[in-house]
Amino acid sequence: MEHTVTYLGLIPLLPLIGAVVIGLLHMFTCKKTPLPELFYGVLACVGPVLSFFLALVVFFQLKGLPAEERFLTHNVFTWFAVGELHVNMGFLADPLSSLMLLFVTFIGSLIHIYSVGYMAGDENFGKFFSYLNLFLGSMLILVLGSGPVVMFVGWEGVGLCSYLLISFYSKETDNVLAGNKAFIVNRIGDLGFVLGMSVLFWAIGASGFDYLSLKANVTSIPPGVGIAVCLLLFIGACGKSAQIPLYVWLPDAMAGLTPVSALIHAATMVTAGVYMVARFSFLYAHYPVAGSVVAWVGILTALLAAIFGMFQKDIKKILAYSTVSQLGYMFAGVGVAAYSAGIFHVFTHAFFKALLFLGAGSVIYALHHEQDIWKMGGLKDKLPKTYWTMLIGAFALSGCPPFSGFFSKDEILFSALATGHTGVWLIGVLVAGMTAYYTFRMIFLVFHGKPRVQESFDHAHEPPAVMTVPLIILAVGALFAGFLNLPGIFGGNLNVSHWLAPSLSELHPHVSVWLELLAITTSVAAFAIGITIAFRKFGQGATEPEFIGFAKIAYHKFYVDEIYNAVFVQPYKAFGSIISRFLEPNVTDSHIKLSVWLYQKAGTAFKVFQIGYVRVYAIYMVIGLSLMSLFLSQTIN
Amino acid sequence: MFAEALFFGFAVLSVLGAIGLVLFRHPMNGAMSLVVTMISLAGLYALLSAKLIFALQLIVYAGAIMSLVLFIIMFLNIQESDLPTEKGRWLYQLGGIIVIIPIASFLIKIVKSIPDSEATIVGNGFGGVKEVGLVLFQDWLLPFEIVSILLLVALLGAVVLAGKRRMGK
Amino acid sequence: MIQDYLILSVILFCLGILGVITRRNVFSVFMSIELMLNAANLAFIAFSRLHESMDGHVLAMMVMAVAAAEAALALAVVILLHKHKSKLDTNIFSLLKG
Repeated sequence: MEHTVTYLGLIPLLPLIGAVVIGLLHMFTCKKTPLPELFYGVLACVGPVLSFFLALVVFFQLKGLPAEERFLTHNVFTWFAVGELHVNMGFLADPLSSLMLLFVTFIGSLIHIYSVGYMAGDENFGKFFSYLNLFLGSMLILVLGSGPVVMFVGWEGVGLCSYLLISFYSKETDNVLAGNKAFIVNRIGDLGFVLGMSVLFWAIGASGFDYLSLKANVTSIPPGVGIAVCLLLFIGACGKSAQIPLYVWLPDAMAGLTPVSALIHAATMVTAGVYMVARFSFLYAHYPVAGSVVAWVGILTALLAAIFGMFQKDIKKILAYSTVSQLGYMFAGVGVAAYSAGIFHVFTHAFFKALLFLGAGSVIYALHHEQDIWKMGGLKDKLPKTYWTMLIGAFALSGCPPFSGFFSKDEILFSALATGHTGVWLIGVLVAGMTAYYTFRMIFLVFHGKPRVQESFDHAHEPPAVMTVPLIILAVGALFAGFLNLPGIFGGNLNVSHWLAPSLSELHPHVSVWLELLAITTSVAAFAIGITIAFRKFGQGATEPEFIGFAKIAYHKFYVDEIYNAVFVQPYKAFGSIISRFLEPNVTDSHIKLSVWLYQKAGTAFKVFQIGYVRVYAIYMVIGLSLMSLFLSQTIN
Repeated sequence: MFAEALFFGFAVLSVLGAIGLVLFRHPMNGAMSLVVTMISLAGLYALLSAKLIFALQLIVYAGAIMSLVLFIIMFLNIQESDLPTEKGRWLYQLGGIIVIIPIASFLIKIVKSIPDSEATIVGNGFGGVKEVGLVLFQDWLLPFEIVSILLLVALLGAVVLAGKRRMGK
Repeated sequence: MIQDYLILSVILFCLGILGVITRRNVFSVFMSIELMLNAANLAFIAFSRLHESMDGHVLAMMVMAVAAAEAALALAVVILLHKHKSKLDTNIFSLLKG
């Protein structure tokens, strides 16, 4: 039973209108007299903040309904109806999308406010906020879409905005290349998504192609087709959420601005793949095989990214690999059919990862765009607010109780263990330890010990309040968000899981207390071991080591980028150059030249008739008339 | 009976005049043949009880237009050397006849499909000034006004063309 | 009986076309066009007699008015052409060639 409300359409619309208005204002005033930055800043933050309030309204409205009826729909218009395919531009607010809505708009608003401070003095201030609003609007369309096609609109939109924002400073070629890479790799994933959508439509799309009708018809899919759909959609998720083998764009995307990295590549866009799998939980729940594939790809990505993260020296690259790793965890969660655990990790990860990125942005801002951690150090007393908030974020990321990351990560690992995916669980525990190691390696090298480069240390100062207040708010979230989903063993009753239950087809296997205790103790032990090793190596100040052997290969990210370049990019480029240098001039152009020559010859031939004597033209007319009358005389009698 | 003989006579005269127009080399001769055609056409109009048109044909066509044509022919003082040497004329005529025969046969076929009727000469009540005037100024008022504008345009055109000639000197 | 008038009109019309396409003399072409107009007039009057309506007469009058206007302008153009080249051959004026 669904209720129709009419304000759902406003939620994505407000940031989109903001994007258009700011974009137009910027376009028409930037060359003459730029408008004051505060004007753009206020205009830009109005959309996301209003959307957040509407998201709260949605949440409370849903809360007031009984659990089975928690579906609010709004069909704005019929987008297209072709034969059997009938697609509405519709929005669906159920418990899952309302949860996503809440943290996307909340963190989005905070990052908008943070960016007002971060971008101060930039001449393209207006353009940045136009793109940022456009991104938020697209993400909201993705989250609120009532069917796969509307979700795909948002999917593409966020991909576009990611590209626009990564290559924002387009005068640097590296930024543009990173933006291209992000867009192209995303596109490869999108192919999988479109194929999955098409196969799904072919199988069961005849009686409606939105989530609720698909959920009702899911049992009529033949099993092979169903697994194919699951895997194809997962390829799309691999592209968007940076899993193996399509993760290569995310570290390069760190060339973009830090608020962009925080919002898009940590908290919201990259979690779209996880959201998609959770949305299609009615499909994935039928095919445990596909779920296992998802879980294994996820956890292996987590392992690979954690290995890379342990050796990086750019602060943002460490956080980027950490994001890929945590995304792997989320996929492991939804892969073992623990959808609410995966989504809960999305929720907590958004808080602490955005916090860590904004904090890193704060550090970079303070040190005047220095990003190499081997050139930082001892910033603990110079940037106190940044330090304490980042410390909270680091504890949350590493999974230290009672911070939020512990509860969400533990839920995933426990579900893996409980459903029999022991291999996934073991690797997960190992990665948890590695996470703690590299996170605290970063913290110790940046904030503790003695400063390594004295002059940038002397000039460092705490950024203004407009940047530190969001940090504090996010830190509060990172601290306490875990308590929303306390498992029974700690006295809670899994509020978030119960809230999400109507949207997800989740199994709740009977849990054994001993298994749960095992999972918790191993997680805590892994954290403890990781942080101890990090403290021993980096806690008392350390210098940059020379990498040899395995460390060197890991520092170069196993040369994956170079391998991709050699295996895919260069042959493709060579193929392209063959076509443009041989095929095109000789084959296609020759056809065109032939038809041109034919036309010219025919024209010269017909020039004979243009004799110039009007009398002859009159003769032509009469000849035509007589031919016509010849023809007409036949028809008369 | 008398009417039929008249019709036949006038018809033959008009066709002879037309053939003369097409065949004569000097335009003066052609113009005179055309005048013969027009006068015989006026006779045919009279046989069709079109009294006003009969008069107008004689006054306007044969009287005004053809005299204007003759005046211009004489004004230009055409000598034998001015006329184009239309050699191969007979070939063209033959070719022309061949091309025109389908058109003629088609049109005659159409004409033959119209039901025939007698053409007795009607006295009053048809074709006179009063009847034409009534129809002209009631049903055909707008075309009448437009034709008057057309004549104005022609007048202006003629003045401009003539004026250009004078200025050119 | 009316049919005979119409057939005569057709004959005159075709003779006019013949004159237009075969003659090279400018005057002859122009007068052949006048012949065609007359043939059309005859058809109008004949039909008007057939249908016992005055419309044909009125139209014939309009045709005459138009023919008069056209005659004036055409002859003015002929005079200008003669001024230009002092020849009366239509084959000389071939600026539309190509």
